[in-house]
Amino acid sequence: MLTIDKFSYLSKLRYINAAEKFSFAVITLILCVVSRSVCAAAITLFAAGFLTVYKGKIPLFRYLRYLAVPVVFLLFSTLAVFVNISRTPLDLFAVPVGSFYLTGSRAAAAEGIRLILTALAGVSCLYFLAFNTPMPDILNVLLKLHCPKLLIELMLLIYRFIFLLLDIASALSCAQASRLGNKDFRTSCRSFGSLLAVLLVLAMKRSNALYDAMESRCYDGTIRVLNETYPPRAGEIAAIIGFELLLAAAWLLEVYML
Amino acid sequence: MTDDDIILKAENLYFSYDDEKTHSLRGLSLEIRRGRRIAFMGANGSGKSTFFLCCNGVNRPSSGTVYFEGEPVDYSRKGLLKLRRNVGIVFQDPDNQLFSASVFQEISFGILNLGVSEEDAAREVEDVIRRLEITPFRDKPTHALSGGQKKQVAIADILVMHPKIIILDEPGAALDPKHTAIVNHIIEQLSEEGITVLLSTHDVNYALEWADEVVLLKDGKLLAHGAPGEVFSDQEALALTNLEQPAVLQLFNSLCAKQILDRSLPLPRNLAQLEQYIADIHS
Repeated sequence: MLTIDKFSYLSKLRYINAAEKFSFAVITLILCVVSRSVCAAAITLFAAGFLTVYKGKIPLFRYLRYLAVPVVFLLFSTLAVFVNISRTPLDLFAVPVGSFYLTGSRAAAAEGIRLILTALAGVSCLYFLAFNTPMPDILNVLLKLHCPKLLIELMLLIYRFIFLLLDIASALSCAQASRLGNKDFRTSCRSFGSLLAVLLVLAMKRSNALYDAMESRCYDGTIRVLNETYPPRAGEIAAIIGFELLLAAAWLLEVYML
Repeated sequence: MTDDDIILKAENLYFSYDDEKTHSLRGLSLEIRRGRRIAFMGANGSGKSTFFLCCNGVNRPSSGTVYFEGEPVDYSRKGLLKLRRNVGIVFQDPDNQLFSASVFQEISFGILNLGVSEEDAAREVEDVIRRLEITPFRDKPTHALSGGQKKQVAIADILVMHPKIIILDEPGAALDPKHTAIVNHIIEQLSEEGITVLLSTHDVNYALEWADEVVLLKDGKLLAHGAPGEVFSDQEALALTNLEQPAVLQLFNSLCAKQILDRSLPLPRNLAQLEQYIADIHS
């Protein structure tokens, strides 16, 4: 997660208008999930990967590793679709086990592949957004979409505090380790417990100090900030519309061909 | 000196964080004149930070009064808004001050709270980013900045609001020499613009060189207040606050005692000045 955050600030697509990136990711995601089209999913998977790796200059290896995380999960969860236990063998394959068969049908296999592709395409859309758009920019888009302000303020503070608390936690655990705080499993557990306790106290202290600092800058209960936005470009918007139309066409074609 | 020159005045301040038994401020009285550079010194827990928070109304004294430009502080919403737009605090740990991951968002917060229009605010923010040389790292998230860069942003946070008084709580704490120099340079600019600067420090040499006035605090009370040369010659007060006399003054005094230098010379503020005195002996 921290790697993704780092890349999002380094991405070459960072200064593309965030609303464009957001709508590209979300519309494509919706199209993929609604259509369940293998074609559309394959196109999306390729396009999102191309944009993130080639245009955004995110290292290919890192990107594939992140994409592999859901693959493992998907393979396990589609196992049930691929493999049936039945008394009669199905058309794709059948392995006799006693009086039963571990068996699968062609239709089920096609359905499984379709599921995996659709899910991966969806994930790649979100990765595209996450790898190329810093969090404050995403929040800004949500604000424009009239997401509740309170929610956005909370996300803004939580996002900032994740890094603060992680810093403190790593400093604490380093200090514990240097005093043999993890010499065996029991001590490790105890150390981890006290780390959490201290972290809670420190988080409270920090939030009080932060509140004082905000108050001394005339904070009155609403966080008002300016956002830097990068202007949308007609060419990019046209490209997004074109891409979504292509997806829709691929979907329709698939429906009529089969 | 007229009363107009006094921008901030504390009268017999008492303040306690938890209960009535232990007070962080115990009858502190102090007058601060407009446009001066004032160094606050004293051990940790002597009440420096507590006093600073009283200056802009975040801490409300349990008794005693704070006056801003001759008027006692009004703790209503409107009164506090007026006080806080004029008295800005740069906190010691920038991580306790920066609440946003974006530098631009962070700096824009204070000025928008003053009710300035978004266009004007954006212009002010750009201006302060340029002046404090934040441009090279303005696009980085605040969690990726170095300590010194965070400090620069923290100062910009306050400066953008155009306060009359800027308070810096240990601005040099945990900074490397390069960033200390950058921050000191910024502080120098602030005073040149006529802003009254209050800062707390443990560095006697810096206080001697920089300050117009030095305030020594001990146990929530005023121990000494005056020109740096005067305060740092007060051995008794220095001993009470565990401060060493600045090296320049120590050397100057011992050279005077050995009759190498003339005691009628004005007290040197820094090494260069003392060096000049010594160089002048032969000429």
